[in-house]
Amino acid sequence: MQPLANITPIKPAARAGAVQLGGVGLVYKTSGQDVVAVSDVSIEVKPGRFAVLVGPSGCGKSSLLMMMAGLRHQTSGAISINGAPIEVPDPDRVGVVFQEPSLFPWLTAEENVEFPLTLRGVSKQERRAKAEEALQLVGLDGFGKRHPHELSGGMKQRVSIARGLVQDPPVLLMDEPFAALDEQTRMTMGDELLRIWAATGKTIVFVTHSLTEAVYLADEVIVMSARPGRIVDRLEVALPRPRTFEMLSGDAFGSLRDRIWRHIRKSA
Amino acid sequence: MSSTMLRRLIVISLIVLWEVLPRIGVIPELFLPSLSSTLLAGWNQAGEYGHALVVTLYEVAIGMVIACGGGILAGAVVGSLPRPRLLIMPMVSSLYAVPLVILYPVFTVWLGIGSESKIAFAGMYGFLPTMLATSAGIQTIDPQLLLAARSMGATLSQRVTRVVIPAAIPTVLSGLRVGGALVIVGVVVSEMLISSAGIGYLISRYRTILDSQHVFAGVLLVLAMAIAFNAMIKFVERRAAVWQTGTRAGPDMIAREIPAAATA
Amino acid sequence: MKSSLAVKATRFVIVAMVFAVWELLSRTGMINPRLLPSASDTIVTLADLLGRPGVRSDILVTGAEVLTAFVIAVPFGALVGLLIAESRYFAEVAKPLLFFAFSIPKSIFLPMFILVFGVGFAQKVGFGFFSTIFIVIMSTTTAVESVKPENLMVARSYGATPAQTVWRVYLPSMLPVLLEALRISMIFNLTGVMLAEMYASREGMGHLIANWGENFMMRQLLAGVLMVAIIAVSFNELVRWVETRCSHWRT
Repeated sequence: MQPLANITPIKPAARAGAVQLGGVGLVYKTSGQDVVAVSDVSIEVKPGRFAVLVGPSGCGKSSLLMMMAGLRHQTSGAISINGAPIEVPDPDRVGVVFQEPSLFPWLTAEENVEFPLTLRGVSKQERRAKAEEALQLVGLDGFGKRHPHELSGGMKQRVSIARGLVQDPPVLLMDEPFAALDEQTRMTMGDELLRIWAATGKTIVFVTHSLTEAVYLADEVIVMSARPGRIVDRLEVALPRPRTFEMLSGDAFGSLRDRIWRHIRKSA
Repeated sequence: MSSTMLRRLIVISLIVLWEVLPRIGVIPELFLPSLSSTLLAGWNQAGEYGHALVVTLYEVAIGMVIACGGGILAGAVVGSLPRPRLLIMPMVSSLYAVPLVILYPVFTVWLGIGSESKIAFAGMYGFLPTMLATSAGIQTIDPQLLLAARSMGATLSQRVTRVVIPAAIPTVLSGLRVGGALVIVGVVVSEMLISSAGIGYLISRYRTILDSQHVFAGVLLVLAMAIAFNAMIKFVERRAAVWQTGTRAGPDMIAREIPAAATA
Repeated sequence: MKSSLAVKATRFVIVAMVFAVWELLSRTGMINPRLLPSASDTIVTLADLLGRPGVRSDILVTGAEVLTAFVIAVPFGALVGLLIAESRYFAEVAKPLLFFAFSIPKSIFLPMFILVFGVGFAQKVGFGFFSTIFIVIMSTTTAVESVKPENLMVARSYGATPAQTVWRVYLPSMLPVLLEALRISMIFNLTGVMLAEMYASREGMGHLIANWGENFMMRQLLAGVLMVAIIAVSFNELVRWVETRCSHWRT
């Protein structure tokens, strides 16, 4: 792992934005019954911070992320990103990385990264340059011409991250992006993400159900309970950065993880 | 011996047998004229066959526009709307069990024995499978891709042109292959049944005067047409779908190919 | 359950509406009733036809041809398919050839059957067999391939005899695919026989239909088409019903 000081941010004036949720609730109807998926969630993530949402499956953490991305509508409360409410997907403010890499199989890695720019009619030259930069950032230099089926799972997810970053949004939302990867790749990708985060200075909201991953990555961990999904705890992770593999077996790490585990066991 | 070599050997010996067996009289020339005499018969009447080919190709072309254009359009609509899909698709595939050839007489009563009835019949013949294939293809589009596009701010029309259409191309092509093959068969069969022009008509006419060589020359011509069409679509498929993973063969291959073979 | 009932009801309504529109088009004279006799007239004609001994014997002839071709083609095709699937080498050799045979139009070979067999029963059965055999072979090999190696491994590790393996592993695994094959083979078979009868024949449903068409007897023609369609769809739905009953463990 490289020490932080050696990394020069590629964008000197890094864009980072605040994420604010006030009293957000989500109720949906299924055959006459109202199901409360998310109830009264208030969160504030300051610019440049790495926040992780954890909780048992079905706690609405992914729904919450979809609402922050403008892909779903909350039924109550307000969500604002960078100081303005978010109602429809706004790639200028929010980049999204999904659990499945969701790459278009008919496009090359490079074209996939360019895709958001293509949608907005950015010139070919500029697109290429930005995609190259983003691919370089995620460590995929020289893989741009490959199609997704020629890439490994970890590489695909890197492309997906590059795509989330290519428009330089202040906020990056990640929905269990490493859940489909094997344990080794998952650890490597965690370190890679921290490196990318340090280099770009984005605000990241990251959803996971892995407690270790949550504590390892986060500045703060937000713990949710299931049915209805609500916030039961918030923890500051005061572990120094850069995070290292050795910390995983330390007492500080263990006690943080245990505290989250107790919450989750209670609500599961 | 490698399997490919043995296969080539089989094919070559079949061709040789086709030439030799009729010549030495093991198979009567009436049942199966030798390959060379068939080709020669075709060559001697090249003008007649060429003229018939033009008629048949014209009917096939228009039939294809109806079957494939209509089938792809209808399949795309039905496939992308969950409710009609649930309602209609099982009915359409039940309809598939009906030997559609029995409808050809109806078309001849309505449209006469000229090209119109062939075009209408072949168009209908190829329509259903193309529609089924396209509808199935639209359904297999990963909803996650649409979600991802939406998160990047794609508008509805951008989602259709940049996600739905490219993702549907492979299935639409296989629908085209199936439907197109059926259109060719539909045209030839209807020409064989009742008509006054086209290759099917030639086959039937030479059959009634027991001129096997000319019958087989016609059969070979239709075969060549079907194979050429198939090769053409495969070529396009390969060019359009370089990004596809894995092999195309599998259990669902039969399901995909069945309509193509429903050629009777 | 409730929604599936609603779906069935809606489908019934759609079919009823097709018939209603048909009736209306003809009754109001929007389409000349001589070109499109009304649905009710057609159904009455159908009942009348079914009462005639001549028509009944034609139905029996077609039924006999279809069944004979089916009974020959299915076991024969299944056997060939099994043999091919059993040996990997043989499968590699044969598959592309079969696939080719499978994908070329069969109907253009119909004249050959007339040249060889004349226009009688043997020709119809022969052509029905020819139309069906390739699909049976292909489906059988697919069915064998659908047996999961891990299931065979389990059976072997618990000491199953070959008979037990066939009975307890092969057959249940293959059943859904085999039923599907049976259904589709029948479609091909029926289509083949109908075409053969329409092309050149002295008896059978196909012969009647072609004849009615040539003589512009629209009422009888449509009644005949309706009858064949009902028979075909009924058989299809019957096998499908058995399929869903036998393969509830899939999905």
